[in-house]
Amino acid sequence: MITEERKAALLNAMAKLEAYRQIQNEMGRAVSAFNFRQADQLLSFFALDKKDVSLEYADEGVFRGPEAVKAIIQETVGAEPKPGEMLDMQLTTPIIEIADDLETAKCVWWMPGAGAVPGENEDPTAIWAWGELAVTFICEEGIWKIWKLHYFRYIKCDYKKGWVDDTSMINRLNTPLHPMADTTTYHNPYSPTSIRVGIPCPPKPYAAYTDADKNWELDENKNW
Amino acid sequence: MFDVTIEDFDLLSDEEFEQLELEVGRLTSCWMVSNMRGGSAIYWDDQRIGEKRHEYMALKHPSVNVEAEMAFRNKPVVDSLEGNSLVHPLTTPVIVVDKTNTKCRSVWRSLGVEGLSKFREKPMAIISIGSVPGANVVEDGEWKRLWGAWLRLTKNEYHAGWVESMEPTNTRPPLTPEQDKAMLGKYAYQKDEIRKAVPEPPHDDTWEVWPDETDQSFQFIHLEQ
Repeated sequence: MITEERKAALLNAMAKLEAYRQIQNEMGRAVSAFNFRQADQLLSFFALDKKDVSLEYADEGVFRGPEAVKAIIQETVGAEPKPGEMLDMQLTTPIIEIADDLETAKCVWWMPGAGAVPGENEDPTAIWAWGELAVTFICEEGIWKIWKLHYFRYIKCDYKKGWVDDTSMINRLNTPLHPMADTTTYHNPYSPTSIRVGIPCPPKPYAAYTDADKNWELDENKNW
Repeated sequence: MFDVTIEDFDLLSDEEFEQLELEVGRLTSCWMVSNMRGGSAIYWDDQRIGEKRHEYMALKHPSVNVEAEMAFRNKPVVDSLEGNSLVHPLTTPVIVVDKTNTKCRSVWRSLGVEGLSKFREKPMAIISIGSVPGANVVEDGEWKRLWGAWLRLTKNEYHAGWVESMEPTNTRPPLTPEQDKAMLGKYAYQKDEIRKAVPEPPHDDTWEVWPDETDQSFQFIHLEQ
């Protein structure tokens, strides 16, 4: 005799597997939209109906709320592309934990990337742009949406020089932070003097998202 | 859209339900092993020695030499962590879980980058291409690594490229080129050699052919031919 609890556990496991597939696909589509400079398409993957939707990248600050997220994506991804400009990020190393209640998911990917930065009256400069991505998804009416996205820069350097010799692009210039950005929560790119810390951390299995899960990706406790 | 309901299970016999349960469990295990490998990759980059961490290794398995493992983890191979990094992204997964959902063999490939500073000198930028073969078992309800290691294809100074440069595995005392080639460099790229087809990813019948989880033969089938 198969118990109802066992049936419920199997149904939950099947739903999680389907969610796992959907989340990987949605994130892949979002990254393609980013690479192709499709700002509106990229925004469609965000949970813009959530007041606390957020996007943080490198040391450019945290963009909290739908208006801030829309603004920074339109101003960067949606900016007029220049000839020779390119940034192609790729998703690897997925670490995905879906809450037992199937309402949220915590995900980490490592992202190798390559790009080209146009110059003034000269050929574009080929660059490496590698990072790590920590994303909290939320399921809204059966669709997985990006609720909180945090991109961590690992390396950003002139391709010809490499990540040891060229650290000129790892930190933002000393210009005013975007007016809609809050202070950066974490920034530790590779440099010849930096020490790696294992952040973003791998997400751990969890039952349901609570306030204590805010900034889960910054947990430095490795002995869990 | 996922539209299975719990009532659908009433259409199955107990035997059919149990088979479905097992197969769903095996698919979930592929995912959990991927998560475990990803977590290990993060901690591989974070190279603090002797630090308490979530244990990803199956230390209770009789084949694991815990003493040797702990000695390895506590042995420094660089003076300082400054400028040192090992980012080996995992791609191209091939994962085969056995029919009982208790053992798993897998191979990933990786195109990685490193920074290496052994004695606080200016780090060397390194391109590191390789693979990650291994086996996992369930221990305390969690998929753990029974064995598995980085298998190098290239480890070259960035500007020199993989044809001109091959850096040995960093150990103390340092390996001779002969020692390195006998260890992690055994199947590495050599400009004057035909590449050996190692590691072969596990085939679907890997557990029927090699039922012992400690058996690593599946990687080397092309060497025997």
